Amino acid sequence: MSVHETQGEQKIVTFTLGGQTFGIHMHALVEIREWEEPTPLPGVPAYIKGVTNLRGNVVPVVGLAERLGWEPSMLHARSCILVCNIGGKHAGFLVDEVNDIVVIADSAIQPPPDVDTGEDSMILGLIAIAARGGDGAAERKPVMVSLLDLEALRLSRPVDLAA
Amino acid sequence: MSDGFDDIQAIFFEECAEGLACAEQGLTAMAAGAASADVVAAVFRAVHSIKGGSGAFGHDALLAFSHSFENLLDAVRAGRIAATPAVAQVMLAALDVLSDHVAAAQGKAALPDDAVALAALETVLTGGAAPVPAPVAAPVAMPVVAPAGDDFDFVPVGVDLDLFDDLTAPAVEAVSEPGWRVRFVPSRAALANGGEPLLVVRELERLGGIATVVAPIAVPPLRDLDPEGAYLGWTIAMPGTVTEQDIAECFDFVVPDAVIEIVRDAPASMPAPPQPLPLPAAIECDSCPPLPPEVPAAPTEARTSDSQTQTIRIDVAKLDMLLNLVGELVIRNSILSDRLAPVDQQRAELPQLTRLTREIQDNVMSLRAQPLRQSFSRVPRMLRDLCAETSKRVALEISGENTEVDKSVIEKIGDPLTHMIRNAVDHGIERCADRIAAGKPAEGRLTLSAEQRGARIIIRVRDDGRGIDRARVLAKAIEIGLVAPDAVLTDEEIDQLICAPGFSTAERVSNISGRGVGMDVVRSNVEALGGRIEIESQPGVGTVFTMILPLTLAILDGMIIRLAGQRYVLPLASVVESVRPEPGQVRRVTPGAEVIELRGEFVPVKRLGDLFAMRREAAPSPEESIIIMVDSDAAGRVGLMVDTIEERREVVIKSLDRHLYPIRGLGGATILGDGSIALIMDVDALVAAVPAAAAKYTMKGLAA
Repeated sequence: MSVHETQGEQKIVTFTLGGQTFGIHMHALVEIREWEEPTPLPGVPAYIKGVTNLRGNVVPVVGLAERLGWEPSMLHARSCILVCNIGGKHAGFLVDEVNDIVVIADSAIQPPPDVDTGEDSMILGLIAIAARGGDGAAERKPVMVSLLDLEALRLSRPVDLAA
Repeated sequence: MSDGFDDIQAIFFEECAEGLACAEQGLTAMAAGAASADVVAAVFRAVHSIKGGSGAFGHDALLAFSHSFENLLDAVRAGRIAATPAVAQVMLAALDVLSDHVAAAQGKAALPDDAVALAALETVLTGGAAPVPAPVAAPVAMPVVAPAGDDFDFVPVGVDLDLFDDLTAPAVEAVSEPGWRVRFVPSRAALANGGEPLLVVRELERLGGIATVVAPIAVPPLRDLDPEGAYLGWTIAMPGTVTEQDIAECFDFVVPDAVIEIVRDAPASMPAPPQPLPLPAAIECDSCPPLPPEVPAAPTEARTSDSQTQTIRIDVAKLDMLLNLVGELVIRNSILSDRLAPVDQQRAELPQLTRLTREIQDNVMSLRAQPLRQSFSRVPRMLRDLCAETSKRVALEISGENTEVDKSVIEKIGDPLTHMIRNAVDHGIERCADRIAAGKPAEGRLTLSAEQRGARIIIRVRDDGRGIDRARVLAKAIEIGLVAPDAVLTDEEIDQLICAPGFSTAERVSNISGRGVGMDVVRSNVEALGGRIEIESQPGVGTVFTMILPLTLAILDGMIIRLAGQRYVLPLASVVESVRPEPGQVRRVTPGAEVIELRGEFVPVKRLGDLFAMRREAAPSPEESIIIMVDSDAAGRVGLMVDTIEERREVVIKSLDRHLYPIRGLGGATILGDGSIALIMDVDALVAAVPAAAAKYTMKGLAA
């Protein structure tokens, strides 16, 4: 691991979802798994794809794109599941492609603009990072990464009244 | 053996420390003016436990002092003495002396001078209370026979002198004449053969006998222990006035391989309760200190160590870990079995390994099984306190307290149970005057029952009160926006509203019900256990809260079925039979309802795919399906239509709420031999569920 986290910095895992780049805190990441069709559950919101066997644990798998309110991800060879630990509960998130692990300074995180979209509550902040890869410096224009608030993505039981 | 005894004594001192801390906290709160009945009751319990234990271990000074202390606390608890800060101060001072006594009993300090504290306690007690009997020094004459079985916190070893007076009396008489000494060791299989030894002992007691020594006979390690085996032997002192014939008659029905010795004692060797007799397994010889005059210590200690000798306290976390590991072992075992070629599966080693694994699993499970009595035993006291607070009169009836349940279940039903009982007393049962006006007996009736039905345990709290005021509940629900003002709800739906999150009718919250957990917490607690709660209420007649819980949270005997390519587990306990329908056997009654004609009866049929709100385009016809008849509490016998049945298998339950949340209709999930997940169905919730509610979400991935 060449990337170390020090005081005042944060390690972020970036991934793409529907052409956009997102990030989550590295410390919450348990593992990255290949996509495998989960066992579907009845009576759950559509974004919960089902449950999968994670070394003897039954862990829910969430379609992150749907969870954030977009079109469901198309499955392809690089689709994978980010298994995260949110307050002791594990959940897998389906993403299109994992990009990178970057270290950013705390100060590089901008608060999300106060847009009234309903989804902004799941975004902790916005970060501009230099795109990796490409052939020359000309290619390296910064990419906007939305840092997700995993706490807000926590799976809680839907309110069912008098059911 | 003295080591074992010391260990138990160490546990007692640990409990003393806990009790002292608890009492300290309570009394401090009381001194600050916050003297709720709960606080007083907690302090009382703490001191009471210390008293009980000290009696059992023969710490007489501690026993005497805690007894006086308890008298005062009892008066405060019953409201005869107000729990003023001044009283609390006296008790705090007494508590300090009590902890000194505990230290002295541990041998850490000299016996404290408790005269001042005793006098202070006595002053408060006589100053504001009805005369309380029970002289301070008397409790030394301690129990000879205590009812075995309910000594969870040493309570019955306590010093209710009235209770023991008549028992100790004949023993004293026996000194004058040479008595009989009867030794009785029932055969190991006595219980299995219907030779309940207790009946014999009771019979002897009726003749004036006193069981002086109860000792375990060759108790095997816990694993080999046959829970239905008899491992105790009794030595019973009989008065000399009883004829040998009478004694022998008591043993008429005892099988010949039991040990029965009837010996007449030499006159001199029969002091009140006898000196330590030669015990079959000399458990407490080392541990009983050489205290010639304090004879009662011997039988008491013998009794205590008997019930504890073969017991060790284990951190529950270790048991849980063991259980998890065994669960994994079971899964690995079946994965291994699945991977092997059929010819290898037949070899002896694999079935042996499987059997061994099962045995380990069963044993680990049984380690965790405990009788519900533990949860129920707290209820009478709680009810007394509740009655005092609400000035209502309620009689309690408990049944089924011997039902054994997994420890984790017991731990988690405490709070829901408490709340349901509080609810019943506070909201359900009316005041005496109202009851008489309604033509009911003045005394309310609360029935607490438990029973095991298949793999489920059913706990009911039934009251004969006024029932749920549905109009008020509905009005409140509309007011707080839980239901639309124009909603039409059935009675059952209204009853369920009291379990809705955030539901509380403010005017109904009293200091009793408002303090505990809400019914929504009760429901989520129960559902987290994979159970569910049912409410049945009839205005003016009463309400029944039923908790339906799984017996264990770990293992389930299930039938694996297939539906739309997925495998599911149906708990075998609810399966009655399976049917492959003939053409025309399944008929549609209405567009949404089908029945199957089975031996002349029409039984409703539900398509599991519909219950799970799957959209299946090529759903097989009934003739291509299997219908599994299940019994459910909610809907009686119902046929569930599935695609095929695969096999029968024990599965390890993985709860869904470990990483998700409980889902209605599902009791959890399990990992099958090939590593894939199968969902476990909760039949009752499934067939009871309103299809419209289930259709709220569609099942992704199954739409095709």
